[in-house]
Amino acid sequence: MELSTLLLMRQELALTAIILILLVSEIFLSKENKGVVVPLALGLMVLQTILGFIPIDYGNLFGGMFQNSELTHLMKNILNVAVLVLFLQSASWLRKDVLEQGRGTEFYLLILSTLLGMYFMISAGDFLMFFLGLELSSLPLAALAAFDIYKKQSAEAGIKFILSAAMASGVSLFGISMIYGVTGSLYFDEIAAAFSFGGLEVLALVFFFGGLAFKMSLVPFHFWTADVYEGSPIPVTSYLSVVSKGAAVFILTIILFTVMKSMQDVWRDVVYILAILTMTIGNLFALRQKNMKRFLAFSSIAQAGFLLLGIIAANQNGMAVVVYFVLIYVFSNLGAFGVVQAISLNTGKENIDDYEGLYRTNPKLSLVMLLSLFSLAGIPPVAGFFGKFFLFIAAAGEGYYWLVLIAVINVTIALYYYLLVVRAMFLRKNDNAIPLFKSDTLLRVGLVICVLGILVAGLYSPLYEYIFGLSAF
Amino acid sequence: MERIIFYIFAAAIILFSLFSVTSTRILRAAIYLFLVLVSIAGLYFMLGYHFLGAVQLTVYAGGIVVLIIFSILLTEQIDSRMPAPKLGTMILSGAVAVIGATVSIFAITGHNFETTPETVNAGTVEKVGERLLSYGEGGYVLPFEVISVLLLAAMIGAIVIAKRPKSDEQTSE
Repeated sequence: MELSTLLLMRQELALTAIILILLVSEIFLSKENKGVVVPLALGLMVLQTILGFIPIDYGNLFGGMFQNSELTHLMKNILNVAVLVLFLQSASWLRKDVLEQGRGTEFYLLILSTLLGMYFMISAGDFLMFFLGLELSSLPLAALAAFDIYKKQSAEAGIKFILSAAMASGVSLFGISMIYGVTGSLYFDEIAAAFSFGGLEVLALVFFFGGLAFKMSLVPFHFWTADVYEGSPIPVTSYLSVVSKGAAVFILTIILFTVMKSMQDVWRDVVYILAILTMTIGNLFALRQKNMKRFLAFSSIAQAGFLLLGIIAANQNGMAVVVYFVLIYVFSNLGAFGVVQAISLNTGKENIDDYEGLYRTNPKLSLVMLLSLFSLAGIPPVAGFFGKFFLFIAAAGEGYYWLVLIAVINVTIALYYYLLVVRAMFLRKNDNAIPLFKSDTLLRVGLVICVLGILVAGLYSPLYEYIFGLSAF
Repeated sequence: MERIIFYIFAAAIILFSLFSVTSTRILRAAIYLFLVLVSIAGLYFMLGYHFLGAVQLTVYAGGIVVLIIFSILLTEQIDSRMPAPKLGTMILSGAVAVIGATVSIFAITGHNFETTPETVNAGTVEKVGERLLSYGEGGYVLPFEVISVLLLAAMIGAIVIAKRPKSDEQTSE
């Protein structure tokens, strides 16, 4: 093996280097200069994101354990952009609350190592790498959820997350071991050739699916979501709901579409039921929430349910629309969480009632929130509309008319609760409205990127065609 | 003879795992877990996987259980009992466990596994070492390296959870 072939995993190597640089800087920076880590990490992440857009060769490494294709490369780029926006948004929180406790670097190290895990998970060519990636992308998250360790809620979020994550990993691993027993191999392409319908195969599929359904918080596996989202610091919550979920969706789609293609009839039934449950229950719970973080948690559960409509299509169109929808979802949800974070940092308020009259005092923030919520709800002409529209077309194209009908009903319900927040911000008058405040520059840059993303992804149609072209498998 | 030993190990694993999850005293649960891990090592030795068996004994039975016991001694009183779960919860989780086990057992016993004749010496140390550091098909050097990142991340995570913030130290002094 020539060393230059290692350049296929350039992104992984660069990210590992970033992690090491940050680790070393933590050791050598003096106590007064710890604040340097914020711009340092941001700068390195900008470099990493730019590096991702430079063309790369595609191929396999390590006997097929690591696979790099145009599509996985694009997925990693989407995750990069999301993490970059997240870093921009979390800078003020770190400066205000975390740096004085002397543990700002740890936040970056943990986030970046989970990102590395997601890279390896997406690029996995066998179940061993997949499982390692899954673990690397969920274990450090427990520490992140408990980052505000002296708040009882945050500690509780951490313990809840790690217990459910351990359970899900265990179940998933049991499924993988069954797959190994049936096919005698861990490599995806060998399994795809040997996998056929049978009792043990179905059980293996279900167990394996359960582990990823936990990460995506699909409905029977969603119980951890609301408590963990509420207890964690807001940057961690938005990371969980956007990046972690997006990566799980990507790898689930890849594995279902390629490795488990011969079991298509079985997993389509599973996805069908989960899609209906997830959309409906996520929506019904979102209706009743008063806290913004819990509200966004349940709305993100419902969004994952809509995503399953693309997965059920199981063709090139389905793959493309899943990637496209995640891209839009990244911008919309990060925009919404960015606003929640700005308000929470400056005033400590997190309830929907507190947002009443926000438009009169903070018009810009309200507009960003409006755009993000419209995009999440799927109102034209914002990007979210096209995302949902394409999802429905993909599912309808395969004959799932009833599923699409139920999804449309759910979109209407979702519209109602998204508009409740909009009404609170724009129509309600409130004498004690949150006063005007100036948020951190970096946070505003992050919000601007989100707004641009929402608009561009919706109005620039060649983007979808580009993704569609990459999605052949 | 081998069959009898296998059944003894299997029965020990099932029994001690049940004791381990149902015991209300946490230290006893840890000891039962230790016995489960030792019995599993016994199965590995029966299969001829001597290296794996040795690793199971040193790392799991030796290392991890000791760690668990240490952390129990550091955080809990040894003689404190956990409250017994409610009857409803016990019935429900028992039913789920029984159903899950039945389905799995039927699926596994109903499947025709292919056998291969070449596994007998697969577990020798040389072969494990070669596979661990080779980068071709069937080599494990990439997972080996990724695990080191995972361990690093886990360590940092542990520090984040365990470290006291400065303001707290000042008030306690």
